[in-house]
Amino acid sequence: MKKIEIGTAVADKPGLTTGHLNIGATPDGNPVNTPVMILRGAEDGPVLWMHACVHGDEYSGTFTIHSLIRSINPADLKGTLVAMPALNLTAFQANQRMSPFEGFNGGDLNRCFPGRENGTVTEQIAYAVFGALKEHADYFVDFHTALTQDTKWTLYADYGGEVSEKGARMTRAFGYSSTLPAKDNLLQGSAMHSAGKAGIPVLIVETGGVGAAFTHEAVDAAAERMRNVMRELLMLDGDVEDYGTLNYFSSFDWICSPHGGLFEKTVSCGETISKGQVIGRFSDVFGAPVAEAHAPSSGIVLAIHPGPVMARGDLLIHIGLHPERR
Amino acid sequence: MKNIEIGTARTSGAGRVTGWLDLADYPDGSPMRAPVVIVTGVNPGPTVWLHGCVHGNEYCGTHIIHELLRSVDPSEMSGRVVALPALNITAFNAGIRMSPFEKYNGGDMNRNFPGDPRGSLTQQMANAIYSELKQHADYLVDFHTAHTPDVQWALYAALDGTVAETGERMAKAFGYHDTLATPPDMLAGSAMMTAGSDGIPALIVEAGGKGPAFLKNNVEDAAERLRNVLRLLEILQGDVTDYGPIANFSGFDWVHASRGGLFIPAVACGDKIAASQVIGQYYDIFGAPSGTAESPREGTVLAIHPGPLMTNGETLVHIGHDPRKD
Repeated sequence: MKKIEIGTAVADKPGLTTGHLNIGATPDGNPVNTPVMILRGAEDGPVLWMHACVHGDEYSGTFTIHSLIRSINPADLKGTLVAMPALNLTAFQANQRMSPFEGFNGGDLNRCFPGRENGTVTEQIAYAVFGALKEHADYFVDFHTALTQDTKWTLYADYGGEVSEKGARMTRAFGYSSTLPAKDNLLQGSAMHSAGKAGIPVLIVETGGVGAAFTHEAVDAAAERMRNVMRELLMLDGDVEDYGTLNYFSSFDWICSPHGGLFEKTVSCGETISKGQVIGRFSDVFGAPVAEAHAPSSGIVLAIHPGPVMARGDLLIHIGLHPERR
Repeated sequence: MKNIEIGTARTSGAGRVTGWLDLADYPDGSPMRAPVVIVTGVNPGPTVWLHGCVHGNEYCGTHIIHELLRSVDPSEMSGRVVALPALNITAFNAGIRMSPFEKYNGGDMNRNFPGDPRGSLTQQMANAIYSELKQHADYLVDFHTAHTPDVQWALYAALDGTVAETGERMAKAFGYHDTLATPPDMLAGSAMMTAGSDGIPALIVEAGGKGPAFLKNNVEDAAERLRNVLRLLEILQGDVTDYGPIANFSGFDWVHASRGGLFIPAVACGDKIAASQVIGQYYDIFGAPSGTAESPREGTVLAIHPGPLMTNGETLVHIGHDPRKD
């Protein structure tokens, strides 16, 4: 069995190995080491790479990875799971999207892949992670979420060839009914984009809700869907469950709020909406209604701002466009 | 009723007016101003002062106050409601507990009343508010919350004479069962205890859950209970609903976490717990169970940390104890 070495995690036999990968250093000189888990099966097979908390406060993915890895007996596993459950560690600790040490360029790690060896704090994190990912990953699943508990959709790299074909199979096996086959002009700088361009089939799972806004039932349900992906990839035995047809989008609309104020949403994730429909209401700080928010296009709600307060320019709604059921 | 003026909100007989109360200055010289709403009844009567967001991200109180204000009709009122629905305005805008402009002394506004005109920013803001409160308020209801949507308890200032007596009647009219009769040595610097020591009966309502973690029915239920308090005080007409007995806890324990880690709570608000009972489970960063949190004493859960992450010293659980037997 060929050794797999990622940072201090060195796995050369079946079972769970843990360690840390260095991704930076704090001003006091201490290293920033992100946790790494490697679960090797009794039989050789593909490497499925998973990571969570590229955006530090999207903890639902951390728990989904934990739930999945803790549920698998290495004797039943063909191949290897590699996981970074708290990737953007300083953001994870600070309970925020981006690293508090990032002073430049916005610091959205999922716009900085494949990274730069001598780049900004965040570019260096991306560089450290992507080098290992590219070296080891045969498949890749990246966990994210939006604001509310009912967030539930997927994207896969639809860049042609095997990346598209296998990404589509992983998406179907995961089975969330809202999914976007992402073309390569979308989300450049995401880990998905870099991996897809490097020929690695890749799925982004958006599940749960930021911070504490997710349930452990949703976590366990997502872990079961991941086991289904692993059955599809022949890493686990058993029949692949068919979750039915999915809605495939042509693209998405990402709308920023035209107002600041108190906000109450009137639609939820997964709802079909039509252009012009009221999706929420703004009131002023005295409690008087001031405006309605309207859907700029028809489609399916992927994410909606939960309120109760909104600054102008906050992400109001994320809409999947032209759903096609198949 | 006599006309009053709070900042730019000036009453002119019965009706509703809005305005702004200057609390301090931003570095660019523009004012930090809290919104003020005054609803004056056609008939004379007492003045109830309401405020929310002393802790900036406890938005449930803002919405309860708005719901109440929208539901009252000056032509049916005897007396006046003064409301500051977004008191600690810079913290409110930033989505955090304390003002982002406060550099010293912790900045917890509810430990800084009555304030100090030459003190830190938070002390100056507290002074600007409290001098108006003391001048105008006959009763105070202050809205707060903890982490989760099931937070539902109240406190009143159990100080000498009518302050304690009237406070208890207000607490009974609000009717959350889990209520603390706050003794004189507790919560020094809170608006409630400061007002109480100035002879103003005062109630704190803990309702909803911070940030977006509250529900519309929390808001509507609390607004109805607040109307019941206004009926008790004869500002509104109608029979006072009897919500049954209240616990009248004589103390509370505010328990800090003695360790960090991933955390999943095992109890909910309102649960009765025993000494040494497991109230949550810790996991390490690789998802392995790494210890339990136990209750230091018996009592009722007033607030519990929702996880998913814990740092040493965070509030783990808040326990009400020793209910008065009567």
